[in-house]
Amino acid sequence: MNAPQALSDYAHLVQTDRIHGSIYTDPAIFEQEMARIFHRGWLCLGHEAEIPQPGDFRATTLGRQPVLMVRGDDGQVRVFMNRCRHRGMTLCEDETGNEKFLRCWYHGWVYRNTGELEDVPLANAYGAQFRREDFGLTPVPRMESYRGFVFASLAPTGQSLLEHLGLARRYLDIFLDASPTGEIDVTAGVHRTRYRGNWKFVGMDGYHPHYTHRSVMDSWKRRPGGGMANLHHGDPFCDESGNLTRDAGNGHVLLDMFPSRLAHVDEYLAGIRKRPGGEDYIAAMQEAHGPQRARELLAWAGDPHVGIYPNLQLIGIQIRIIRPLAVDDTEVLMFPALLKDVPPSINEMRLRQHESFYGPAGAGAPDDAEIFERNQQGLGATVEPWVYLARGLERERQDTDGSIIGMPGDETTQRGQLREWKRMMSEA
Amino acid sequence: MDITRETIESFLFHEADLLDEFAVEEWLALWTPDACYWVPCNGRAGGDPTREVSLIYDDYARLQDRVWRLASPAAHSQRPRSRMRRVVGNIRFELREGELHTRSNFLLAELRRGRQEIWSGVCQHRLLASGDNFQIKAKTVLLTQSDEAIDNLSFLL
Ligand code: FES
Ligand SMILES: [Fe+2]
Repeated sequence: MNAPQALSDYAHLVQTDRIHGSIYTDPAIFEQEMARIFHRGWLCLGHEAEIPQPGDFRATTLGRQPVLMVRGDDGQVRVFMNRCRHRGMTLCEDETGNEKFLRCWYHGWVYRNTGELEDVPLANAYGAQFRREDFGLTPVPRMESYRGFVFASLAPTGQSLLEHLGLARRYLDIFLDASPTGEIDVTAGVHRTRYRGNWKFVGMDGYHPHYTHRSVMDSWKRRPGGGMANLHHGDPFCDESGNLTRDAGNGHVLLDMFPSRLAHVDEYLAGIRKRPGGEDYIAAMQEAHGPQRARELLAWAGDPHVGIYPNLQLIGIQIRIIRPLAVDDTEVLMFPALLKDVPPSINEMRLRQHESFYGPAGAGAPDDAEIFERNQQGLGATVEPWVYLARGLERERQDTDGSIIGMPGDETTQRGQLREWKRMMSEA
Repeated sequence: MDITRETIESFLFHEADLLDEFAVEEWLALWTPDACYWVPCNGRAGGDPTREVSLIYDDYARLQDRVWRLASPAAHSQRPRSRMRRVVGNIRFELREGELHTRSNFLLAELRRGRQEIWSGVCQHRLLASGDNFQIKAKTVLLTQSDEAIDNLSFLL
């Protein structure tokens, strides 16, 4: 199949209650996703707290394009295209590190960590016209950050980051404001995972836990309060939980588990109080945010469970970055965020909770990966090509803030993501 | 229990067989109640697991959870199970304050759903001689691939 070019084609592939399986399997459509979504829209590169010291860098990608997120000696974070201005080699042999100067080992050009070209070996061979200031590293066309979350776009113009985030901004706040100072530490390392399936499978499905994660939910009954992924009390995915799926617009969607968390906040706080320094943490939260907001933030536990379209998800304690590699191959980076200015026992608890479910050896993520791979294989059967996404369509409604809400297992989230997918893919 | 190269080897080989054959209950029975089963991440051997993420950092209760879950019919990432065979070698050991510290290399071929992966690394065991066997107090696995993208590490190392 050739990738559709026009809105009408995508309108056929993505309908309100069903989508065509080819959007998960067709390499030509994947190429167009790279061009129209990943090489055009806002993508999250991570958080500035990954590179806290001057000279710290992380080599990463913006869609397929190699970029370098680096904190200069002046303290400022910049994003450059990771391409030497001479003949185009990538800089930095390691993925992360700290360098005052970024050297290209091909012919030895040297850049400052603020981007300027510092040195060219035997520069006199270039003649009098050559000016070093014309050959600094190329900044990414657009970069903006929100409370340290670094976003970039390869398109020189377009909506601002705040317009793009829209209603979803408040969920970034919830993630950060689990710390009394609103700051996180992202130097705890990363879980790198990968599955042989399309990137659009990952995240924000409230319908799958009872089956995909049956083993984990069974473990909650076996060892209440101590088991795997123990951020929840009761079953947060059943209709009686009071929880919601929420489509906040622009493709940003979440499994909104605030209702059940608030109902169980006292149990959660009792667990925190038992830890060394737990009482101090609660007191610091109340001091910083006031008793009402602190109670809400503690109930959220810093876990908005939100997907910021297309490549960022904030789930549990992790900043999750999705990297599509091919139509059927996806890398998922999970950066656990520690909270700044909290007792060490709180962060240790958060790390152990994260590892219990996420990462390649967790109790949850490998099962997700397995299911996504089987999903990819199943979509190879094209006699009946449609994927049915109508769950809860009849009962979803608009919330007071304008977002669309459904019951916990409703496919409101998938519909919200795919509506944005269709919009971006249809723009020539 | 005599602490000789022969008894140490035969214990480590026995453990390798239990892991390869998913005899997980028997494997769990080798551990002491203050167990620490640690697989560091990001190539960070000797890091601080209280503030750095690990692939696995299990105490005894979490280890029990892990073993219990592997037996569940809904642990999809091990349905079907990985077929595994590992070779343990380059064993070194020393006695330190009543504990036996061993260091060994492993090479593990893992086959699942038509894909074969080769895993390798260094295992550091802290063992106690008890009766006519050893018990595992701590095991740290420095996985060569710990900073690479991994899709499925749901079997035991
Ligand atoms: S390509 Fe970088 S110095 Fe030549
Ligand atoms: Fe899942």
